[in-house]
Amino acid sequence: MMMARDRTPLDAPLIGAALICVVALLAALASLAGLFDNGLALNIDARLSAPVAAHWFGTDALGRDVLAMVGAGARISIGVALGAVGAGLAVGVPLGLAAAAIGGAVDELLSRFNDLVFAVPSLLLALLLAAALGPGPLDAVVALGIFNVPVFARVTRAGAGVLLTRDFVLAARLAGKGRLRIAVEHVLPNLSGTLIVQATIQLALAIAAEAGLSYIGLGAQPPAASWGRMLSEAQTLAAIAPWLVYSPGAALCLTVLAFGVLGERLRARFDPRSRG
Amino acid sequence: MRGIRGRRVVGPLLGCLLALTASAACASAAPGAALTIGLPLEPPNLDPTATTAEATEDVVYSNLFEGLTRVAEDGSVIAGLAQRWTISSDGLDYRFELRSGVRFHDGSPLTALDAKYSLDRARGRDSTNPLKDLLAAIDRVEVDGELGLRIHLSHPLADLLTYLGWGNLVVMSPLTSARAATLPVGTGPFRLRAWHKGDSIVLERFDGYWGRPARLARVTFRIVPDPSTALAALRAGDIDGFANFPAPESLAELAQDARFTVAVGSTEGETLLAMNNARAPFNDLRVRRALSQAIDRNAIIKGAMYGYGQPIGSHFPPHHPAYIDLTGRYPFDPAAARALLASAGFPHGFEVTLKLPPPYYARRSGEIIAAELAVIGVRARIENIEWAQWLEQVFKNRDFDLTVVSHTEPLDYDIYARPGYYFGYSNPAYNAVLEQLSRAREPAQRRQLLGEVQRTLADDAVNVFLFELPKLGVWRADLHGMWREAPVQGLDLTGAWLDAPAAAPRAGAANSGWPALLLAAAALVLLTAMALVRHVTPRYLAGRIASLALTLLAASVIIFILVSVLPGDPASYMMGLNASPAAIVALKREYGLDAGALRQYFSWLGALLHGDLGLSYTYRVPVTSLLRERLAVSAPLALYALALTVMIAFPLALAAASQARRRTGGALMGVAQLGLAIPNFWLGILLILVFAVQLHWAPAGGFPGWDAGLGAALGALTLPAIALAVPQGCVLARVLYAALREALAEDYVRTARAKGLTPRQALLRHALPNALIPVLTVVGLQFSFLIAGAVLVETVFSLPGVGRLILQATEQRDLIVVRSVVLLLVAAVVAVNFLVELASLVADPRLRRGPSS
Repeated sequence: MMMARDRTPLDAPLIGAALICVVALLAALASLAGLFDNGLALNIDARLSAPVAAHWFGTDALGRDVLAMVGAGARISIGVALGAVGAGLAVGVPLGLAAAAIGGAVDELLSRFNDLVFAVPSLLLALLLAAALGPGPLDAVVALGIFNVPVFARVTRAGAGVLLTRDFVLAARLAGKGRLRIAVEHVLPNLSGTLIVQATIQLALAIAAEAGLSYIGLGAQPPAASWGRMLSEAQTLAAIAPWLVYSPGAALCLTVLAFGVLGERLRARFDPRSRG
Repeated sequence: MRGIRGRRVVGPLLGCLLALTASAACASAAPGAALTIGLPLEPPNLDPTATTAEATEDVVYSNLFEGLTRVAEDGSVIAGLAQRWTISSDGLDYRFELRSGVRFHDGSPLTALDAKYSLDRARGRDSTNPLKDLLAAIDRVEVDGELGLRIHLSHPLADLLTYLGWGNLVVMSPLTSARAATLPVGTGPFRLRAWHKGDSIVLERFDGYWGRPARLARVTFRIVPDPSTALAALRAGDIDGFANFPAPESLAELAQDARFTVAVGSTEGETLLAMNNARAPFNDLRVRRALSQAIDRNAIIKGAMYGYGQPIGSHFPPHHPAYIDLTGRYPFDPAAARALLASAGFPHGFEVTLKLPPPYYARRSGEIIAAELAVIGVRARIENIEWAQWLEQVFKNRDFDLTVVSHTEPLDYDIYARPGYYFGYSNPAYNAVLEQLSRAREPAQRRQLLGEVQRTLADDAVNVFLFELPKLGVWRADLHGMWREAPVQGLDLTGAWLDAPAAAPRAGAANSGWPALLLAAAALVLLTAMALVRHVTPRYLAGRIASLALTLLAASVIIFILVSVLPGDPASYMMGLNASPAAIVALKREYGLDAGALRQYFSWLGALLHGDLGLSYTYRVPVTSLLRERLAVSAPLALYALALTVMIAFPLALAAASQARRRTGGALMGVAQLGLAIPNFWLGILLILVFAVQLHWAPAGGFPGWDAGLGAALGALTLPAIALAVPQGCVLARVLYAALREALAEDYVRTARAKGLTPRQALLRHALPNALIPVLTVVGLQFSFLIAGAVLVETVFSLPGVGRLILQATEQRDLIVVRSVVLLLVAAVVAVNFLVELASLVADPRLRRGPSS
């Protein structure tokens, strides 16, 4: 995997990561289309089967196919992560742009808000929010989305701050455009690369966080398959059915890794300085 | 050299770390055998007369408190504190004669006055006793001589003698009853020694006991909420046994193991798929019967309970002499069920919610039930809820369609006659049968009436009756005298003994001066900063501190609002299933829960400013002492993990940066990328599988306390610390690597190389000190994460840390604990970040010119 030369436009880690991301997305889509439903049906007589030809990853305590559950689990993981990051983008980017364009009190207010959110331990706030809203995927989206708001606000604010001093902004201003219009028409398109990179990295974090919430029972609810919940259910059975621990954890780990690598490699391509 | 000064800050902190580690206390040992019993749930308090919490009765019933009568293992009523009694022929007058020479744990003698006081307290106006409504049958209680007691009933109550043997009606002294929640003083063969919140309750033998003394010198009830930890702790010998083991899947395996006895008995728990009879479509008998036919009890018993548990056809325990088998009343037949639904007007089924409380039997049965109902077209949406929500939504507000729950109180068929009970069932004929039953004293007549009870409930298909909850006892093979059956709520250990004494017991609260030490460390950093950095003036500090205080104030508002909107009523949760509304109101007043939101907020904030974190609703102890106990786990764990983090990060980053070729360095960082993608809770499970289950090198979970010795305590924290440190170490390694590469590209490194330093010398002497500054910031953030965000790893390893305290308090709706502890953690994060900012100022002169933000 690490054989790539430094300046190849598409290196092996990038391709590998992208492939895993595509597989995860496909699994999520397949789950939406109901392709895993057969494997998800209960079959008490076939429970706790070790990996065999009919069940590559074995079966769980209720006789469901673990491979199908892992595949279906991608739906919640990817869905919640996309929702949370999307919410962060939708709220954070306008906030950041407004702070950069208007400055002054708005800017100060935003940085106070950022400080506040960053001061609260993220998992604890997510836990409280999930408890307050009642457990479920939608609530995980809200709880995790809140932490993405200041991230995108900050990235947007910093990027926009630099861009606003550029000549093309000055030109636009001379052409009579207002500050907010300049921010939307000229600054935002130039930030899209940075935002896509950041979003990819945030996706990795959100997938991991969703699994954590599900693990303590505050994420997706049964019968929806979820990697975090599969792991918490596997724990009692670990000694007699260790395969229940391996595959959901490996799926989670690979997906987080893939989105992380993808984000970092993309960033390296957009910004050669950060290459490491 | 620039980086050097920073070490002066690190020095005092390191000193504190060492002092903290050294503050572990010495172990204490007691003669005689000691036993550690696992409990799945922690008791909310230790006063069985105030709650119906099963866990409370498990700990105190007959071990610590005794009643006038007592329920034996076969369910019969035997003498307790009353050695004999007579009943008038009309069944209205009872005269009890108490034993002489009985003493409470505080040495005071038991008299009839104590018994009268206890009964009057239980039925008094302000009583929160779960049996309050039943005790309405008592007209008056009189003392007749020093040891004589008379109870006059206004109407017959056939089961009075049984009730008097329950944990809810134990005898307390008027001098000590007010503090029974935390300092129970009873007459039993054991007395309370210590309660380590979130971890264990320790009882010790009471030498002044009136009867046969207990053979065990000490009993520790260890709270093990997680089935997998329960199994691992049992195997590891950390726990000697469970009266009711929460993982039936492991029983077959344990029964094969010569080290353990597996004793499967029965509880008084009828497990039901309860239906809201008051709500459509379940107000239609045909629909209820359809559901009864759609459910395959045997599949549930096999799938969820691994074959344990007896099927039931009505609300009655199979081991009772008057039991009749009604399981064939509605045979499993999906086609017939569909036909019934169609005749009720639902040919295509309908949609409902299925609310499931936390116990494993409910969650697992629920999934199977939902799948079986889907077959007949009933689409049940599962909602997993916590006990607090279950009590609020299902039990109190009757806002539910279906739920799965086990009713563990003995003789509780009367709930079907209670007006407003959550089933929403009402049948005057049934009430008439119960009325006859309460007057009937002839055995044959009682048996016939009890049969009538069972048949009526089955005919009306009030609920789908699933199975009698089994009592899955597992304990060490050399432990004897444990009860197989559970005819009464409780875990009677008065007759238990061990062939060989167990390992040295542990006790004593971990109590150290954490807050003082942390304050001292903070003051040191402040003073160092003020001495070294010119612009860190009192004025600058005042400005920064004011801004931090504003952040905290905003955080307090948000936390307060968030916590206040948590669904579920804390008072109902505290009082348990059978609490009367009047008792709940009384409790709310006691805790100030009836005041307005604004008033509650300001009184909370005001108390906080005076250093008063409040009183825990469930534990009824100051939050400060709870927090101190939990910090004694969380803070050392965080420091341990942080030390490991640094030990992973520095060699990795330095090795990568010292590679002349970037590709090799990049490969090492690739390893780091993989490491940070591993979720710490999954790593924790894998570590348990390898090092605890397979190799037996480390305990699988739990924390023995610092009193068990430094080695045992650190041993219990090692796997959790590794699970936390690997991902964090990889994050830190990447930050350090990036900083090192940047520093290596600077002119001064080139100058140093030109002067003849080797690459290694240049790296260690010039690049590293400069790279430490961003590392310091990240380490600060990581410390905050480790102390506040370790909840997942604490869950995996069942550690009584701060994260679990918040999680448990949230589940139990112990709002004051959640609020105060979360705010304190936020304050700690803010403070640590501020200190890191100051430390960076000290370490990096470039930052001193203009402080950012």
